[in-house]
Amino acid sequence: MFEVSLDLQAGEVIGLMGPNGSGKSTLLRVLATVDAPQAGTVSWFGRNDRRDPSVRRRLGIVLDQPAHFEQMTGYQNAWFFAGQLGLSGEVAAPRLEELFRWAGLWDARDQRAGAYSLGMKRKLSLVEALVHRPEILLLDEPTLALDYRAELDLIERIQLVSLTGAAVILATNDVHLAERICDRVLFLHQGRIIREGHVPTLLSELAGSKEVELQMHSPVPLENLRALPSVEAANVEGDTLHVVLARGTNPAEVLAVLNGTADLVSTMRVRRPNLGDLFLKLTGVALPAGE
Amino acid sequence: MSSPSRMLPATIWQRELVEFLQRRRALVIKLSFPLLIGMPLILGGAPLFSAATALTMLFAVIGAVGSAAVLSRERSTGLALRYRTLPVRPGRLLFERLATNAAIDFLQIVPALILIGIRSPAGFAWWPALILTVAAVLAIGNLLGAVASILSDSPGEVMLFVFVPLLPAFFLSGLFTPFSDPVLLTVSRLLPFSYLHQSLLGALGGHPNLFPWETALGGAGFLVGAGGLIGLFGRRVVEAD
Repeated sequence: MFEVSLDLQAGEVIGLMGPNGSGKSTLLRVLATVDAPQAGTVSWFGRNDRRDPSVRRRLGIVLDQPAHFEQMTGYQNAWFFAGQLGLSGEVAAPRLEELFRWAGLWDARDQRAGAYSLGMKRKLSLVEALVHRPEILLLDEPTLALDYRAELDLIERIQLVSLTGAAVILATNDVHLAERICDRVLFLHQGRIIREGHVPTLLSELAGSKEVELQMHSPVPLENLRALPSVEAANVEGDTLHVVLARGTNPAEVLAVLNGTADLVSTMRVRRPNLGDLFLKLTGVALPAGE
Repeated sequence: MSSPSRMLPATIWQRELVEFLQRRRALVIKLSFPLLIGMPLILGGAPLFSAATALTMLFAVIGAVGSAAVLSRERSTGLALRYRTLPVRPGRLLFERLATNAAIDFLQIVPALILIGIRSPAGFAWWPALILTVAAVLAIGNLLGAVASILSDSPGEVMLFVFVPLLPAFFLSGLFTPFSDPVLLTVSRLLPFSYLHQSLLGALGGHPNLFPWETALGGAGFLVGAGGLIGLFGRRVVEAD
């Protein structure tokens, strides 16, 4: 159940952010032509037929679950998808070599895809999605299972793809990735877009605020915290209490509010708020960490 | 395509073939299985009617089980979703996949067919009909397996779903008891297995009720029908969650 209206410009990088079940993967699957919308229409390059081969040839898709033909080598997998996407052998070979080397998979190209680690499988999915130089690149949790080096390489590649005029939509809860490469971010909650905007504009809504993270030994009454005018949002995740404080508030006030339970705090961290904090402020729900 | 590790598939049928050739253990089992079951039936002096019945059932099961297991496994591993992103219409995608699988199944059966030819060289008049009816049963079997794969993500459960329609269809095809009742006889002529049974019986040197040309016509009809049905079911099978 969605009420989504989304226009995509060439070269634009859009981030879909929201907790599990918010609908970001579902929206991505609809955009990727895998699923039909329950109502309304989706138009790709002015065409409404999601099964139109000419539409699919212009999309690059990485779904959240990397799936490959496990008995075939990584290179055979990529070659197959390149062929399906309309590339001749002469065009596919040099592009695949460049992408396999970029992804660090060149030496493992003749290994069975079934023997690849999760990170390698995700990189192979990226290779397959990029080989035909799509006009729209759709990525579901692209940094999942990637190491830091690979994540940096991916960011660089997405920026490059975007510079060549391709639009990129990525579903992610990696706030650092979103802040770094997204031009625009859509917050999804319970199947709806609750806020949309350019990243600097969204972050400016929290200008001067502070995000305080407290690791607690025992549960704390959130209602008392939320009732304070200086607290913009508060949420507990496991044993960690997240509090977004309004401009000018001293973080020590939070400890004072906890009144008598401060000794239950094992660590406290104050940092500049990010998109995740804005989401928390808007919905009261924290974006899952590590996704 | 120099060696298996360097075979580079660019089309759907090439991919199916490459995967078939690269699963070496499965390849040996797949190629030897029909021969091991067929050998005692064909060369062991079994009654011809029973031998034709067992071979018909074997060929139908080979067609249905393979596609059912593969497609249900692909659904659970996420590969089915990858297929859905390919720039190919669902009907064509399913047709290409099942036609290739049926052709591979046919290759599995060739050694058993050769044994039939060796055992009964006089039955060669039945060979065009035999080839057509085997192809038709494999195509129908693959389609049945593909449709059954929608019902569950578990290959084990899908196998059970495959046998639910197959077993009564075998009976209604007159595989267990020759029919004299006109209604049952008509029903049997509406099922592809009866034509394969007749052509096997003929090729083994028995006395079928139909002429070779009638059997060949039946086989050709079911083959064309299977092609149409595969196109019709393409969207439902390819886009099933």
